[in-house]
Amino acid sequence: MVSLEFKRDRLQLRWGDQKYEWEIEPRYWRNPAIGVLLLAILPLFVYSYPNILTMFTTANLYAAIAIPLGLQMIGTARVNFGPQLYLGLGGYTSALLNLHLGWSPLATLGATILACGFLALLLSPTTFIAKGLYFSLITLILPLTFLDVTFIYGDIFRGEVGLTGMSALFNLGKVRWNYLGYFYVSLLLMLLYLWVSDKIGRSRFGVTLAAINENEDVARMMGVDINRYKIFYFVFPSILTGIVGWFIVHTFRTFAGVTYLPLDFMIKILIIVIVGGRAYVYGAIPGAYLISAVEDSLRALGPINYVVFPLVLIGLVLILPRGEGLWGLYHKRHHRDYFPLFHVRR
Amino acid sequence: MGSTWQSILVYTFIWGSIYLLISLGFSLVCGVLRIFHLGYGAIFVIAAYGTWVFMEDVGLGLIPSIALMFLVQIGFAVAIFYRGVFQRYLEEEETLLTMAVLIFIALTHLANYLYPVTAGVSIPTTLIDDILKIGTVKIAYQMVLAALVGIIVTLVFVAMFLKTRVGLIIRAMSQNIQAAMLMGANVRKMYYLAIVLSVIPPTICMLMIAPFWGIDPFMGSPLLMTAMLVAILGGLGNLKGSITASYLIGFIHASVSFLYMSRFMGLAALVVTLIVLMIKRGGLFAGETLW
Repeated sequence: MVSLEFKRDRLQLRWGDQKYEWEIEPRYWRNPAIGVLLLAILPLFVYSYPNILTMFTTANLYAAIAIPLGLQMIGTARVNFGPQLYLGLGGYTSALLNLHLGWSPLATLGATILACGFLALLLSPTTFIAKGLYFSLITLILPLTFLDVTFIYGDIFRGEVGLTGMSALFNLGKVRWNYLGYFYVSLLLMLLYLWVSDKIGRSRFGVTLAAINENEDVARMMGVDINRYKIFYFVFPSILTGIVGWFIVHTFRTFAGVTYLPLDFMIKILIIVIVGGRAYVYGAIPGAYLISAVEDSLRALGPINYVVFPLVLIGLVLILPRGEGLWGLYHKRHHRDYFPLFHVRR
Repeated sequence: MGSTWQSILVYTFIWGSIYLLISLGFSLVCGVLRIFHLGYGAIFVIAAYGTWVFMEDVGLGLIPSIALMFLVQIGFAVAIFYRGVFQRYLEEEETLLTMAVLIFIALTHLANYLYPVTAGVSIPTTLIDDILKIGTVKIAYQMVLAALVGIIVTLVFVAMFLKTRVGLIIRAMSQNIQAAMLMGANVRKMYYLAIVLSVIPPTICMLMIAPFWGIDPFMGSPLLMTAMLVAILGGLGNLKGSITASYLIGFIHASVSFLYMSRFMGLAALVVTLIVLMIKRGGLFAGETLW
């Protein structure tokens, strides 16, 4: 039996025992829709500047790494300093399979998911074995060890220069169209991650996020199977991060561990979370766009940009409201606008 | 085979003692402030390049340069790391760690910008320029001296923590900060002292190992990694754990180098650390106290 009902702010569909709801009041979807629209029309203004388009694509990918990281940080109540391990694993898995065995991007996607899922599952006990800071240190060391491995087995991973010549995800015929295509696919990937994280955060399953983050012992006493949830919140974001590695391989067609595995890259992602607003999953987007823009503009300074960039990041952390970041600033000014958020006290 | 084991034993002692010197300050900050000092690598960069700046750019002798570098080192640790980061973000773990790393990265790149590897930075701190023969093992005197200095500095630190009033207060703080405060411990003053003390072993270490380790702007990262590995394996900020872990990692490095291939020694130490963590939560000495 199907019944459709208009509530004050939502449309409700009942189908047997199932209930589906859609928010229809404008304040629930207007600003997110404007945000997505702005991101979608952005390339039209910079269509003839491939560098800027690449910068936006990079920003989308940064956000696509930062969003699962935010979810993971809240869900495991620990700061993972090494999500780039899965980025590297995903990238190298797809690159090596594509180059040596001729697997198609679709097949390498499956292999990436399996490889990242397996490693994350193997390492997931660290989320309950290692306490907060221990966890951070272990996760910090793992990608650096992987980087070491890429140098040790340089004939396979080509640690210094990276792998090149992997097959492209698609070819639209013209270089500019390809740039545009990659931007939109990266945007879709980022929005998909955002949507999934948001759905998880607002579901009953997601209530455990806040419970684990607030107080693990209390959550356990209330009957939450902490370890099981922690494994999920560790493995799932790790797979999402691995997929970004796969995407990089098949869009930029080059992958070097030395670019993505060092601490500098990870710090960039953590800064995106902090600058965007660590309690807000949506904050990763303005954070990623700001950091990418700053990074790209500073390149004009020459070699000194490597010194100036971290200093600018330090400045941003000092200037922005603590814990709230850019998204917090927006949310304060538009408190009546509804935005789903992970507002978790740490 | 006998000579191989002799080499392993000698290098376990040498590397273990040097790793101890590298990690002592890191463990101290862990034990007292209960944080991981991810900017710790900056201390090595300041030690090497600070001395070089005073020697080459200012034109001072080695000893005055080292003395001034020590002052800069302490000033930087207190003003930038402690007051600027640790005090401000003590309750925000990820911001604290990120800020500390950012400062370290900025300093590393500044050193690389001003004095790239091609600048040929070197610190003439060789005390005895000769080779020592222990059984069948030949080893530079400077390495042996660095190891001995490592042991002496550790003994001084341990004696201070066990025999002095200041050491007693610091140990009390590491056991229970609230209880220590209730008993009248001046926590703020002790934090400053711990930060100052934490820069001494890595600075001495840098000066001792500079002649044979090789100086480059990015050397802070591997040294920080060593300090972190020792801290993880030994137990959060526990000096007994740090001593044990240093020699254990020294043994792993020496064994892998002499019995297999030296390029695997870092990986082997990490695998052993992970296995130990799986078996014994919180490392070898998981008491979460300084001693």
